[in-house]
Amino acid sequence: MSFLEPLLLAGLPLAALPVVIHLLNQRRYQTLAWGAMQFLLEASRTSRGYARIRQWLILAARTLAVLGLVLAASRPLASGRLGLRIGGGADAAYVVVDRSPSMQQRGTQTATDKLARGLEQIAAALEATGVRNCLLVDSVGRRPTPLDGPAALRLASQAGPASASADLPRLMQEVLEHIRVNRVGQAEVWICSDLRANDWQADSGLWPQLRAEFAALPQEVRFHLLAYPQEADANLALRATEIRRSDGSAGSQLLLSLTVARTADGPPQRVPVQIEIDGARSEAVVELSGRQAALENYPLPLAGGRQQGWGRLALPADANPADNEFYFVYGEPPVQRTVVVAEQRAATRPLQLAASIAADETRASEVDVRAPEQLAGVAWDETALVLWQAPLPTSTTPLAEFVARGGQLVLLPPAAPDGRELWGVRWTAWQTSGEPARVADWRNDADLLARTRSGAALPVDELQIARHCGLAGSVVPLATLAGGAPLLARAAEAPGGVYFLATTLDDRDASLARDGVVWYAAIQRALSAGCERLGVASLRIAGVGDAHGAEGWVRVAGPSDRLSSEAAFQAGAYRADARWIAVNRSPAEDLAAVVPQPRIDALFAGLRYDRADDQTDASRRLAREIWRTLLAAMLAALVVEAALCLPKPAAAAARGRGEFA
Amino acid sequence: MPADDHARALLDPAVLARLGALPLAARRAMQGSVSGRHASPHRGASVEFAEYRKYVPGDDLRRLDWRAYGRTDRHYVKEYEADTNLRCLVVLDASGSMGFGSGPLTKFAYAQRLAAAAACLAIRQGDAAGATCVADGLEATVPPRRNPAHLTAIANLLAGVRPRGAGRLVPALHELAETTPQRALFVVVSDFFVDPRELRGCFEHFRFRRHDLAAFHLLDPLELTFPLHRPVRFLDMEGGPALLADPAEIADRYLASLQRYLESVRQAALETEIDYQRVSLATDYEQTLQRFLLGRVRSGGVR
Repeated sequence: MSFLEPLLLAGLPLAALPVVIHLLNQRRYQTLAWGAMQFLLEASRTSRGYARIRQWLILAARTLAVLGLVLAASRPLASGRLGLRIGGGADAAYVVVDRSPSMQQRGTQTATDKLARGLEQIAAALEATGVRNCLLVDSVGRRPTPLDGPAALRLASQAGPASASADLPRLMQEVLEHIRVNRVGQAEVWICSDLRANDWQADSGLWPQLRAEFAALPQEVRFHLLAYPQEADANLALRATEIRRSDGSAGSQLLLSLTVARTADGPPQRVPVQIEIDGARSEAVVELSGRQAALENYPLPLAGGRQQGWGRLALPADANPADNEFYFVYGEPPVQRTVVVAEQRAATRPLQLAASIAADETRASEVDVRAPEQLAGVAWDETALVLWQAPLPTSTTPLAEFVARGGQLVLLPPAAPDGRELWGVRWTAWQTSGEPARVADWRNDADLLARTRSGAALPVDELQIARHCGLAGSVVPLATLAGGAPLLARAAEAPGGVYFLATTLDDRDASLARDGVVWYAAIQRALSAGCERLGVASLRIAGVGDAHGAEGWVRVAGPSDRLSSEAAFQAGAYRADARWIAVNRSPAEDLAAVVPQPRIDALFAGLRYDRADDQTDASRRLAREIWRTLLAAMLAALVVEAALCLPKPAAAAARGRGEFA
Repeated sequence: MPADDHARALLDPAVLARLGALPLAARRAMQGSVSGRHASPHRGASVEFAEYRKYVPGDDLRRLDWRAYGRTDRHYVKEYEADTNLRCLVVLDASGSMGFGSGPLTKFAYAQRLAAAAACLAIRQGDAAGATCVADGLEATVPPRRNPAHLTAIANLLAGVRPRGAGRLVPALHELAETTPQRALFVVVSDFFVDPRELRGCFEHFRFRRHDLAAFHLLDPLELTFPLHRPVRFLDMEGGPALLADPAEIADRYLASLQRYLESVRQAALETEIDYQRVSLATDYEQTLQRFLLGRVRSGGVR
């Protein structure tokens, strides 16, 4: 329990007043010589037990009455079963809102989703605590935005549902920066989240740093986590895995591959999937047994041989509507154009091979080999991937624009590293090991070395690296050698996909070309990512990539209640000039893995932190003032006291009779 | 106040004058030493015929009823009722509890006046009066005498005693009942704070010895109503342990206990046929005596 007027708690000792008065009264007895002692002794003997209990009850009632008055004046807050320790007097309250799709999960008895419930709870709690200075830190906007009081939380359009995953460490960092820059006094940070692993990134190295920096702040910062960790019992998630347009003798058609997954095992069921293409609807049925079912190459005829357009897949309503829809767009696939920049043209053969053989035989690939000094005339706007095996460029202007537009850049070390930097990263020196080094650790959940669609891991551990070049600067390692040196890393400060491979494809340096699966898969993934911006139709993951490029998008299909400025974060089909873009949630959102409570608690170790697990179906408030209850309790105590103090009817009658019975 | 003045203060002439019109009658036949106004169990020489009795040798021939001899040819002796005086013994309880009083008079002071007036009334009508004060035992005794000057001795005795200590009323009453050889009127003035069963034994003893017992049960209004509120440390006037109690807590049980006790005493008095007078100190002792005397007149003498 916490109090809005804690100073008034200094009056709590007044609760002892009835006891003190009783003791003083006991000491102020009068002395009386008495004759009829035998009746007094008998009365005292027979009434001792009851009288003592009654006396204690009266004292307890009086003490409770004073206690109730003092506590009511202190304006206590009851946080109920949730157990939050809320204190008044915070200068600012940061409300960190996880707007990820999983937060749209509804309760079993109410239609309220986790996000709306959490916002309502926090708004009510902030209103109860009297905090006026509220700042919203949502997982889409990320920057702290001032609100007109806690009530604005309920109506804030930038706190509505989104399709992009949240990045909690990043949001916390924003809060930290805001507190530092604005020199906020005592601050409260309210976090509303469902604790999904992909949102919290509990393994991120940013958390220890955040912990240390929050702990080092001179002002007090309290963290309140309002968690909704419960998962839906029966929830279906729909995702299209491949959309391919083909022209045959029967006409043009789309070949659609999709998966339907559910969160828990259950009996086999037929799941109707509604398919909408350019406004025309049809339905397919997926037989679901086990956790997941797939539909491969489901033909959908295109009316009039349409070359490009959009579509939507939908499931019947269930616990979470956010994963019941999937948008796609289709069109002519772009040419997979790769530019290979190499200081030695003879060494470019493995690079050309990996880039020129497309994984999809229907798609065209082109490779343009250039020397570093021959970059003029490169069609950057039509290029998806640049493989750079040369000293780092002196001018980054064309490359920076290329990367910023979504192009992918893979850099390999030159024969003689010269110390130049690119996005804060530079090659250091070649290092040769006696025995070929193996890859000790690599990231297989995302990026270039992720598992294949079937779930199999790439044989990265089979690679043998005889010689590698050192890397210095801010990078995110994707594969690390046994000695700890990065083999493949992503430039942390680059605006897009910029990768550094710390060896070459020469057999004397590494077995990348000989065991070509890893290299081929990585290059094809980079090409695919780079082509997304080039084709007429592109699929994007909400919240990934350049959000500013989405400013001119026009929504063609999708929820109508979402902000147009958040197009890159909201699922839907969009059109930008001649291009079609489909935005969908991240695949990680369908995994529904929840970070365990001890792990979450450990993230806030050493900080003033408390956590409350709430449910969408619960009717309890997070915090409310209970002075009325205490006043009622005080009145009840006074009534009890008065009842106990009333003279007994028999005694009153006996006295009333006067002298004789 | 000097002892004589104090003794005189016990006898209010105005009260005695007003009470003088009422006789102090006995409820039983008394065995007095001289002729008086009370019935005697023996035959005597009064004018009131009692019975005929067969003549036996040795009877005075002057009392032979010749007319009855003429009618029946048998010798009868004509007997008449005897009138005698009574011996009134006033018993004053001088235990410590008698010192209690919330009004102008303590129970003991009230009892002194009551006892002195009763003794005075008895002597005025020619009866013998004596007094006994009972505290730890028989404190002091003045034997019954008919001499009016004897009243001074009685008053001095009553005035000279102070209530103190634990009472031994029950043994003292047994002793008086047993040692008084002839029928007498006992006027006991006490608060009777003893076990009602023991008190009942006393009453039965007096009845067995054919004494006429009048018991004045004195109670203070404070004892009867117990109107106390603040915690009080009660000191036992008879030397027992003190008790610290909140009257508000124990009042109901105190009053209930007192009522049970009073009922028991009343029941014992009814069953043993004693003249029981419950007296509140709020009632003037003159009224108390008046009620007492009137009650005796109504019941009349017994032969």
